[in-house]
Amino acid sequence: MTPTVEGWTGLGRAGEPPADESERPDPWSGAAERVGDYLRAMGVIDAFELELLGARVRHRLLARMASAEVEDPLEAAIEEVNGLLDEWLDGELGMAGERHTLLAARAAVLSGAAPGWTARFAGVAGESIAGAIRAATAQPTPEPAMLDMPPSPILLCCYGVRQRIAARLRRLVVGRAPTSPHP
Amino acid sequence: MSTPQGRGVPGHHYRRTVYFSLVLLTTLGAMILLSASFQEGGIRALELLMLVLYAILILWISASFWTATLGFLLLLRGRDPYAIATAGREPVSEGSEAFKIALVMPVYNEDPARVFAGLRAMYQSLVETGKHEGFEIFILSDTRDPNVWVQEELLWRQWSVELGRPSRVFYRNRVENTSRKSGNLADFCRNWGGRYRYMIVLDADSIMSGDTLVELVARMERNPGVGLIQVPPVPVNHSSLFARMLQFAGSLYGPMFAAGLSYWQLGTSNFWGHNAIIRVKPFADHCGLPRLPGKEPFGGDILSHDFVEAALLRRAGWRVWLAYDLGGSYEEVPPTLIDYAKRDRRWCQGNLQHSRLLLARGFKPLSRVHFAMGVMSYVASPLWLLFLIVAGFAAYLQSLERPAYFFGHNLFPVWPESYAVEMTTVLFVTLAMLFLPKILALVLLAARPRLAKRFGGLSRASLSVVIESLLSVLLAPVLMLFQSKFVLAILLRQNVGWPTQQRGDRGTGLAEAIGAHAYQTLIGVATGLVAYYYVPSFFPWFTPVLAGLLLAVPVSMLTSRTSLGRLARRAGLFLAAEESARPRVLQLLDQQISAPPAPPCRGIEGKDPWLRAVVDPCAYALHSSLLPEQTPSRRRRHYLEGLIFQLQDEGAETLSAGEKRALISHRDGLFELHELLWSGPRAPVDTARD
Repeated sequence: MTPTVEGWTGLGRAGEPPADESERPDPWSGAAERVGDYLRAMGVIDAFELELLGARVRHRLLARMASAEVEDPLEAAIEEVNGLLDEWLDGELGMAGERHTLLAARAAVLSGAAPGWTARFAGVAGESIAGAIRAATAQPTPEPAMLDMPPSPILLCCYGVRQRIAARLRRLVVGRAPTSPHP
Repeated sequence: MSTPQGRGVPGHHYRRTVYFSLVLLTTLGAMILLSASFQEGGIRALELLMLVLYAILILWISASFWTATLGFLLLLRGRDPYAIATAGREPVSEGSEAFKIALVMPVYNEDPARVFAGLRAMYQSLVETGKHEGFEIFILSDTRDPNVWVQEELLWRQWSVELGRPSRVFYRNRVENTSRKSGNLADFCRNWGGRYRYMIVLDADSIMSGDTLVELVARMERNPGVGLIQVPPVPVNHSSLFARMLQFAGSLYGPMFAAGLSYWQLGTSNFWGHNAIIRVKPFADHCGLPRLPGKEPFGGDILSHDFVEAALLRRAGWRVWLAYDLGGSYEEVPPTLIDYAKRDRRWCQGNLQHSRLLLARGFKPLSRVHFAMGVMSYVASPLWLLFLIVAGFAAYLQSLERPAYFFGHNLFPVWPESYAVEMTTVLFVTLAMLFLPKILALVLLAARPRLAKRFGGLSRASLSVVIESLLSVLLAPVLMLFQSKFVLAILLRQNVGWPTQQRGDRGTGLAEAIGAHAYQTLIGVATGLVAYYYVPSFFPWFTPVLAGLLLAVPVSMLTSRTSLGRLARRAGLFLAAEESARPRVLQLLDQQISAPPAPPCRGIEGKDPWLRAVVDPCAYALHSSLLPEQTPSRRRRHYLEGLIFQLQDEGAETLSAGEKRALISHRDGLFELHELLWSGPRAPVDTARD
């Protein structure tokens, strides 16, 4: 079945009362299902891969919660999924935090153009798919090759003629314009 | 700044002397006939006004007539010793690796599927030539509609991955679309122009065959002093009766007019905005457009940039040619009369703005002629209108006196005895100059039976010309009123804006037709009544104009119908050469349109593509990767936060297109929104679970 975008009615509305704290057993159990949804939306559909990745996200989330206060565990969990993906891509492609390349690589794998990426991401496939990712990475623009393109002056024939004639007449009648008092 | 080298173009002086002499002598002859037909006793004020108006109008008609006639002779002869096709003796560069050529397509809220289908067809056609190595494709998006923007990105990504490495197809969306299309091209030149020796500028509906693209590059290489070569595009692809009529006319008469233009313009031809190859460095050096002093519509950004860019290239000494002999260049025309008028509205402002450049310093005389012709193509309509009003009023005054031009039930005007011949001659000379080019085109067909076959045979082509002429007579007064209204609106300083063009086939509905043509019909009724009661003998002469106005609504609706267009095609009418023998590149376009490639990020299907760029991790990642590295200002951030609150509180449907675009325009803001939606009480997408 193809996932479909739901209406915005599914979103939280400002002013809605927060969920009862007692109904939340622990941060991960509240986030697990959503993390699964998110991974599936990313293209991870294999149950084993989902389980492995879910466990890693859980680990990262709990570690984060242990070291700092987390306002919204669900939001933090989604962040951790993206963080996990970025770290994996960084390692897979040997990038040194190049943001633009990372974003392009993310677009490449999520578009499904690098076959087998989910298995590699989940750590169940041994062979590197860096080549496939690079091949699937689209370059939006070439390296800049700048040219200077200054506006070419176009001297209009009669622009401001009225003002110029008026100014000359003024000068004739009034005499030389007084110099500005300001330096 | 780069400067061209090379000798002067042979034939320039001779041909221009011939052409302008013919135009001026014809105008003078017609004026002598008209002034002779006025009554004795000196020319009155009204007659003088008629004479002046007629002089301007006949000059315009005569220029067009001689262009067509000279073009006819050139085509009949079969070769032009001075044309760009034969010019240049320098050898072509070895191989195409040495330099690159950009196929640039500026787009603005166009149908992305059609844009990419066209580009893919052209690229495939290039590949079939085997000489595609140096070519790269650049989609220069100025699109503001967030849905179209995201679709463009998805289709670009799909194609880019298909073509593999090294990348050959590039895409960028401008953050601010300053100076519209000319600003878009200038932005390309400033950022990437140094990578390319040539750029071939396309419109969103342009199609050019691979052979033509390769030949254009070869001609530029052979002629290092040439800055631009324009290939006249032939209108194709639409099915409405109106469009098929234009396509037929463009296909039959177009080559003759293009040859005629090339005859007298030679190396000072014009740029038509697209389907042209441009030498990038001189273009960047000389064609940066300034803002004109004063306010819009006559000041500000130069709207019709093409004429000005050609003039600037010529001012700097670079030649501009029209390759009338090259086929394989196509475009699409507006499908209906109303769409045609809307396009005219945009072009009208740009062309009238050129009136300020007529006497600007430094331009070549022929560049000034181009500006004047551009202005005249719109000013001619109000001048015709004025001429008709003055002629009608003069006829009324004459009817009050004796001798009268019109009285009783005479069908023909009764001129003072000795001048009737001259007046009738004026009328027939004018009509002949308007219709003779159509007959010349048929003579060309008669001389080339193989070509005639592609138009459905000489008899069907002749019948089509007759029907086209009749329909043109009906449409002319409607267009005259449209254009007069546009000119008036611009003179009253009303700005046109930058509306998106309607390119696809669609029928005109009754409400739309009434909305657009009701005032024309009313003018027709009022004028008809006035003419009938006050100048009854003038009335029959006025009927072609009245008929056009009175029938504006039904004619507009009927000609917009694709069913009538197809019916005409089945009857072999308005058969353009490109319809009967579909060129390969157009076949490729058909294939692309009928079987479009599946874009990526199909895991989540939603109604609005912009929404997918927010919630679908795939579309989000792609869109995010294409956004520029930009940190929004504090003020901007507050604005975006406000929009997010609006989205949450009131729903996406309350956001305007501009607000949706703003929400997906900043990488950090988009990331926050993406996470916010995924961490809401419910997932923004319903993903399948096994």
